[in-house]
Amino acid sequence: MSVAAAAASVAPAVRAFRKPPRIRKSLKYDQHGLPIPHVDIAIRDIAPCRLREHYYTTLQDDLMYMTYVHESGHRPPPRQIRLRFDPNDPYSKNRRNSPVGGDQLGRKPAPVSTPQTVVQLDGIVLHTMQKDAINNRSSLVGAIAAFRALSGETENGGGRSSRGGVEIVKGKKAVSGWVRPGLPLGCKVTLKGPKMYDFITTLTEFVFPRMREFNGIVLPPASSTMRTPSGVAGVVSFGLPPEAMGLFPQIEVNLDAYPKPIGFHVHFITNAEGAGAQNRARALLSGFQIPFARK
Amino acid sequence: MLACRGIQRGAWRPAAVCVRPFATETPTTAQVTPSPPPTSSEVGEPTTRPTPPKKTRASLHTAIILNRSPLLTRTPTPFERAFYAYQARIHRALHNPFPYDFYFKQGSPLETRFNIEERRRERKAFGAPFGTVKLEERDEATELMEMSLRDETDESMPRIHEADVKNDLKNLNRKGQRNLYAVLRTNENGKDVWRLPTGPVQKGELLHVSAIRRLGDECGRNMDTWLVSRNPIGVYYPPKLNVTEPEAKDVVFFYKAHILAGQLQPKQSRYQDFAWLTKGEIRRITDDEYWNGIKDMLSDF
Repeated sequence: MSVAAAAASVAPAVRAFRKPPRIRKSLKYDQHGLPIPHVDIAIRDIAPCRLREHYYTTLQDDLMYMTYVHESGHRPPPRQIRLRFDPNDPYSKNRRNSPVGGDQLGRKPAPVSTPQTVVQLDGIVLHTMQKDAINNRSSLVGAIAAFRALSGETENGGGRSSRGGVEIVKGKKAVSGWVRPGLPLGCKVTLKGPKMYDFITTLTEFVFPRMREFNGIVLPPASSTMRTPSGVAGVVSFGLPPEAMGLFPQIEVNLDAYPKPIGFHVHFITNAEGAGAQNRARALLSGFQIPFARK
Repeated sequence: MLACRGIQRGAWRPAAVCVRPFATETPTTAQVTPSPPPTSSEVGEPTTRPTPPKKTRASLHTAIILNRSPLLTRTPTPFERAFYAYQARIHRALHNPFPYDFYFKQGSPLETRFNIEERRRERKAFGAPFGTVKLEERDEATELMEMSLRDETDESMPRIHEADVKNDLKNLNRKGQRNLYAVLRTNENGKDVWRLPTGPVQKGELLHVSAIRRLGDECGRNMDTWLVSRNPIGVYYPPKLNVTEPEAKDVVFFYKAHILAGQLQPKQSRYQDFAWLTKGEIRRITDDEYWNGIKDMLSDF
């Protein structure tokens, strides 16, 4: 049996679709004169996803072995730390009352190692803040267009209500002479599912290899403490310079069409939490071929 | 330290807790586990207390689960392919209009080419009336581009390697969609058996160091490997490898490693053969005892 014959015997062609059923009753029409389908149409996966498969066949097992922490027996209950002020005192009742010795934000214990708590990627958020937008809000248009091309996301895209598309980020509080609440400052887009894996593929195969003087995402020095809120959160963040935007193939084809290249932040959101979460999230990304380096 | 202090206070604690050697060290004769003091129920019994059985240390072994991870994505089942095709058709039917002006200069060859390819995709998805151009709308540029496109052929690589056709069990390219594991044929108690690369831990050696050494000793130095973790991923108690010391128990700790490049070169003196096999294939050539010990450490797919 030749190679070609063997390949053909494994992959029979998908059969053509049957003729659509006869239309017995016409569809209802909305106020724009467009037909309303009688089912909710939502677009699911349209192709197998290479990196997701890599995660489930290889990475998940390896990450479980790498991050496993053996514990015998039950965990002791967390130590009760006395609050700074008497909680029963009417004076301190609704006031800020943190425990003695500072808050315990960076000391959250890691969950018990189980197959369910193996680190996995939940989403990717791209975010940019444009300083020009404070004076001229139309300067955000270029950033929005770039994010749409990068992510392929639209609001309620594919009939999925969870898809937010490119969102405009507005100022939260007033900084005198600079930001006012509600002032559009930047934009962000959330990637989930196959699109998130496609973005990683683009990043590792087109962008990183062509970036000048890029040895990897720079890690903080080894001596820096991991007992920070970001150290116990499984979100890995880094910034891409404006030069990197032109290296994405979606934008490379017509880079001139965009007003100016923008830099942006990339946040990889994982389900890791508790002590050592940042390192576990980095281990996961490293498995997706995203390089990390120390200065 | 706590246990030592306990002894000074008078409460009985086994002395072995204080000065217990590593599991990989051989026990010294001076450390004899003290027998517990007689309890009230034992006092009345005759004084000839049975001597505690001579304790023999388990002999430790490490084994490597040398894995070749999948090279290809899994071939979708007919149902999955029908599902993907259906979803892709919905996607194509409902997508936002493509901004031609944003991406192409009007009338550029690239635009002509894109239009032709887009029409072909349309015709493939929805059938003949879609993606066809009326005769009067055809122009010269399109005809020329179609002529040049005729010579181009996109051929996808075969998903089946030559090694699959020849059934070459030693080739690392076989079964590209599956996890493969290295198994070696060796002689155990006069029987020919297939085993994962295994060997004894040396005196005073750490387990994961032994596992790394195992890669070089049993599998040869002709490959690049990566040991996944310092923790063993499983344990197996073989039924009495050591016939001379019936009391001695054997323990095998398994470590997972990936092969990145190169090929196995097992020692000719210890191993007669090797193969890269899937979980199901390993099931067929191993005995039930060994299979039950290792099956949960191997990937089903």
